[in-house]
Amino acid sequence: MKPFDIVIVGGGGAGLYAAMEAMKTNPALNIAVLSKVYPNRSHTSAAQGGANAALGNKAKDDTVEMHIFDTIKGSDYLADQDAVDVLCSEAPKIIRELENMGTPWSRMEDNTIAQRPFGGAGRPRCCYCSDKTGHTILQTLYEQCLKKGVIFFNEYFALNLSVGGSRSNGLIAMNMKTGKVEAFPAKTVILATGGYAKMYWNRSSNAAGNTGDGQAIAYRAGIPLKDMEFVQFHPTGLRKSGLLVTEGARGEGGYLLNKDGERFMSRYAPEKMELGPRDLVSRSLETEILQGRGFDSPAGKYLHLDLTHLGADLIKSRLPQIREMAMNFEGVDPIEEPIPVRPTAHYSMGGIDTDNQTRTVMEGVYAAGECGCVSVHGANRLGGNSLLDILVFGRIAGRTAAEEAGKFTPGRISEAELAAQFEEIRGGMHPSGRYERYGELREELGQTLALNVGIFRESSLLQKGISDIAELKERFKKVRISDSSDVFNTNLMQVLELKNMLDLAETVAAGAYARQESRGSHTRIDFPVRDDANWHKHTLATLVKGNVTLGEKPVTMGRYELQERTY
Amino acid sequence: MTVSTDQHKEGKKEVTFRVFRFNPQVDSKPYFDDYTIPVERGVTVLRSLNYIKEHIDGSVSFRAFCQAGICGSCGMRVNGLSQLACTTQVWDVLAKSREPGIIKVEPLRNLPLIKDLIVDMDPLVGKMVHYSNWIDSTMPEAQMGKKEFLISEEEFLRYDKATDCILCASCVSECSILRANKEYVSPAVLLKSYRMSVDSRDSMHETRLAELVKDHGVWDCTHCYRCQESCVKSIPIMDAIHGLREDAIESRGKNDTSGSKHAEAFMTDIEKKGKLVEATLPIRTNGVVWTVQNLLPMAMKMIMKRRTPPPPPLVKSVKGIKIFRTMFREMTEHVKQDHKSHKK
Ligand SMILES: Cc1cc2nc3c(=O)[nH]c(=O)nc-3n(C[C@H](O)[C@H](O)[C@H](O)COP(=O)(O)OP(=O)(O)OC[C@H]3O[C@@H](n4cnc5c(N)ncnc54)[C@H](O)[C@@H]3O)c2cc1C
Ligand code: SF4
Ligand code: SF4
Ligand code: FES
Repeated sequence: MKPFDIVIVGGGGAGLYAAMEAMKTNPALNIAVLSKVYPNRSHTSAAQGGANAALGNKAKDDTVEMHIFDTIKGSDYLADQDAVDVLCSEAPKIIRELENMGTPWSRMEDNTIAQRPFGGAGRPRCCYCSDKTGHTILQTLYEQCLKKGVIFFNEYFALNLSVGGSRSNGLIAMNMKTGKVEAFPAKTVILATGGYAKMYWNRSSNAAGNTGDGQAIAYRAGIPLKDMEFVQFHPTGLRKSGLLVTEGARGEGGYLLNKDGERFMSRYAPEKMELGPRDLVSRSLETEILQGRGFDSPAGKYLHLDLTHLGADLIKSRLPQIREMAMNFEGVDPIEEPIPVRPTAHYSMGGIDTDNQTRTVMEGVYAAGECGCVSVHGANRLGGNSLLDILVFGRIAGRTAAEEAGKFTPGRISEAELAAQFEEIRGGMHPSGRYERYGELREELGQTLALNVGIFRESSLLQKGISDIAELKERFKKVRISDSSDVFNTNLMQVLELKNMLDLAETVAAGAYARQESRGSHTRIDFPVRDDANWHKHTLATLVKGNVTLGEKPVTMGRYELQERTY
Repeated sequence: MTVSTDQHKEGKKEVTFRVFRFNPQVDSKPYFDDYTIPVERGVTVLRSLNYIKEHIDGSVSFRAFCQAGICGSCGMRVNGLSQLACTTQVWDVLAKSREPGIIKVEPLRNLPLIKDLIVDMDPLVGKMVHYSNWIDSTMPEAQMGKKEFLISEEEFLRYDKATDCILCASCVSECSILRANKEYVSPAVLLKSYRMSVDSRDSMHETRLAELVKDHGVWDCTHCYRCQESCVKSIPIMDAIHGLREDAIESRGKNDTSGSKHAEAFMTDIEKKGKLVEATLPIRTNGVVWTVQNLLPMAMKMIMKRRTPPPPPLVKSVKGIKIFRTMFREMTEHVKQDHKSHKK
């Protein structure tokens, strides 16, 4: 294949924005976007709430500076302040840009883009389109990319970077339609493959494919991952699937009840009750379950989100989506009975370590979106800041790669390397003797992560988690792929995704074990307070001779001094 | 083992999933495999397929991603009807199953088959490109990001519902014209085209429309309503199709397009036979365009009871054709009168 100037891995918000911007920056470049699903299927489509920008349409006194402060405070002071400056200052422009390209935003009475309040924000600055914001943003970007003639390789599964010395020669990927392993020699590669929170499996609100492939690819290439221990949990996931019941349900007056029928939030947040901040409510649910006040079921312990007192009319008119979800995925009609819920892994703050221009330590390799970590979210991301992150840094990645592509000579990927890759993924398809089942390993991984590397962490639990993951990695060597076909081998893809999750789980657990403090989403029972003296820094996880090696990186400070984070 | 049991709920049902199988590498033609598993209330077709894949046969291939009805990956035919596997309850399907205890799962129609339940989406994307399913903004690129367009809630509502489309291709699979003509624009693409054309930010409305009125375009639709009935997001697709046709007539004149001729041919067929000779609908002389706009949707709904359009020689007059003809003439008269008095 002819070498590309830029190969973008990922067709979510970050990848598509990067593609568009790169074409804009230099239309002569040869750019390809690879995605394991059709771009419009990417998980960006699941974001309902909206994207933050201090447009000042709703609250006239909102400012970029306030947005910056809210983000830094929300991050529990682990975000890099210069990166947050970029994020928030670019926000109004990028939201307007999307608007100019056709994103259907909901509107205010004066016909400007509508904004609503969101957790952790001092002003209502979350721009939205009904409850389908991510979906409509993704549609717009996909449409614009089609308009610009971006070359898509849809249903290509990225396997690894081809590395030569200090730089990459491009990407190696499997064409799902043929099963062939193909080379994408390239001057630059942008990784934009989304988050890794699916490693918690059915305790995650994420799509099945949010398996951190890009992070794992970078990690295997020796690129450090940053702050991997920070995984955000949302309080109300459906019990069986982990799918999200949005905050709206509690906003409209839903109760959280334990098995004694008690509104237990009175013990944790007597004033705000069910409407306390996300991490606090998640911890409260988890405490109830740990202290034996949850309900039991084969699908795990859970609590009740009770809407029955709101009445059929209100539920039907104001919460139709939530009702549909409860009926579709739990078989429960919230008009008649409470919805079984428990906290669910929702967002990965950690990711590939990059600078503010999305560069990684490897020449010609960039990362953006949930897959990268600049870092703008620090220890805890604010709702509505993630869509913003993927847009702003997706664009920067596209521009930077386009500007820098000229500096590099195109890489070459040898036939031998391709053959070795093919052998690696297909050779061990049918291990002899006793073999392991994919589904079991994946289930056990999700379980040990939820139990030992979940909301509450503690030294001995984390040790257990680490040894479980190591054991699972060992067993993975004997995993069997039960589909031998070359064409659309989804079973093979699942197994490759599991491998990525196992690699990353190790870094999450290692980071969580090392970080002896509680900050943002990371709660250590044995180290319950934030320890700025020792831990006000990023962790870096690098693969050295097959093992996770932890390092650190200072947090870039700016106008805002460390403060206690209270709401 | 059961697909996630829940003791306090009422029992489980033994369900046989009759799954369409085809692997182009080894099979010369498709066949069905039966998998019988216990399923409790609240379990979706997708969860059942996942269970089958994980516990019985790992080679069963299908697409799924969000598992929450938002990404559009898992469109397939369940007991003959195109829908999302991830939002379809097994027990609900079972209650309506023709063969008790059996649920038939097949790939979407009208798109090339790749393997098992997986079809090729590229032709659909190709059509989105062909019909310029994007906004060509009136804002020059260099000016973008500086200020917002001011858009009324009323305008937003014109395309709000259409932007719910998740490109699952259920409507594509159900479309009666596509079965006969794979080049037909497709309901989802008409919907998207309409969504773009009512957006005041767009500047290429006329160009898009010019493409849509050509062969295989908006005038080929038979108003059978199947796309709308099968839309997984309950989008009124027919409103979009009507909208585009009205636009076409308004901006291109009544006698300009093949469409208006096409429309009359429609009326003749309906009057004579009580149903449409869909596959070879001939283009006849000009006229009665307004009738189409006012009458056709209603008329079609009344007559199109049978779902698949048979080839022409098999098209018989529907039962009660005499009564229908009388009704039809009365309705036409009525609308004509209405139209006249309206003009005065
Ligand atoms: C339920 C839910 C609700 C949310 N709501 C909000 C909200 O209201 N506001 C907000 O700001 N954020 C929200 N988020 C977070 C936000 O949606 C995500 O962080 C963001 O969309 C990620 O975008 P992305 O472009 O980085 O990745 P994604 O959209 O996940 O895209 C990843 C892309 O990479 C591709 N890919 C992955 N692996 C491979 C591989 N191996 N080979 C080839 N391609 C690959 C995929 O095909 C996909 O195209 C929500 C998240 C969830 C789960
Ligand atoms: S109404 Fe038109 S577009 Fe819809 S299914 Fe029928 S022929 Fe196809
Ligand atoms: S119009 Fe409806 S059925 Fe057709 S692709 Fe869109 S969402 Fe699916
Ligand atoms: S899996 Fe996404 S719509 Fe069904």
